[in-house]
Amino acid sequence: MVLLQPDPFLSELTGMYERNTEKGSVWVTMKRSPMKCREKLNKMALEGESLELLCLVRATDGKRNITTLLSPKEYLKFQASYATVLKAHMHALKKRERKDRKKPAEVEKIPEKEPKKQKKSPSKKPSGSKS
Amino acid sequence: MVYFESWDEFVTKSVELFRTHPDTTRYVVKYRHSEGKLVLKVTDNHECFKFKTDQAQDAKKMEKLNTIFFTLMTHGPDADISDVSGKEQAEQPQSKKGRGRRQ
Repeated sequence: MVLLQPDPFLSELTGMYERNTEKGSVWVTMKRSPMKCREKLNKMALEGESLELLCLVRATDGKRNITTLLSPKEYLKFQASYATVLKAHMHALKKRERKDRKKPAEVEKIPEKEPKKQKKSPSKKPSGSKS
Repeated sequence: MVYFESWDEFVTKSVELFRTHPDTTRYVVKYRHSEGKLVLKVTDNHECFKFKTDQAQDAKKMEKLNTIFFTLMTHGPDADISDVSGKEQAEQPQSKKGRGRRQ
């Protein structure tokens, strides 16, 4: 577990996404964390001290863990850069697709032998003309 | 463990869970590029909500949920997230740009 500053964290995360394009997954976890031990927390609660709320962000690809801590001030900046990183790497997702449509990958056809002079004959043509 | 079909329901339940157990709830984004899969998980170790998708448009919704959780986690569970509701209606202003379709 490596605790990084937000910016190095993001560049590591970018690297992680890039290393896992062929195979593998990347997990990014967000959690609120006071980063204090239990006793300290109890003591602070007794004394009525207020906690600074920190957001712990962890990322792993199963081989390596990286972590960063965000204060309320940092999170807006981080969040914008994080969104950019995500946008840049999550391009394997499908573009808008109607729910009723069938999988386009399987519909793809090998062009038929007939000359294509009749402007774009619809590919749904019945296969009767084969033989 | 529940896979939600409806995004709005997933968001509502997740935020509710975080507000009930702010110290133990975590939010996980899993992305698998090779299969083009995105799985979101929110759990407090007792309840677990998941949302699975392979659609690019859901990634945009996920960004909104990221914003919600960042806000909640850094400003406390009572933080106001009404400006980033993360639900469907929040997407509407984007369509005004009129950039045409990006297919």
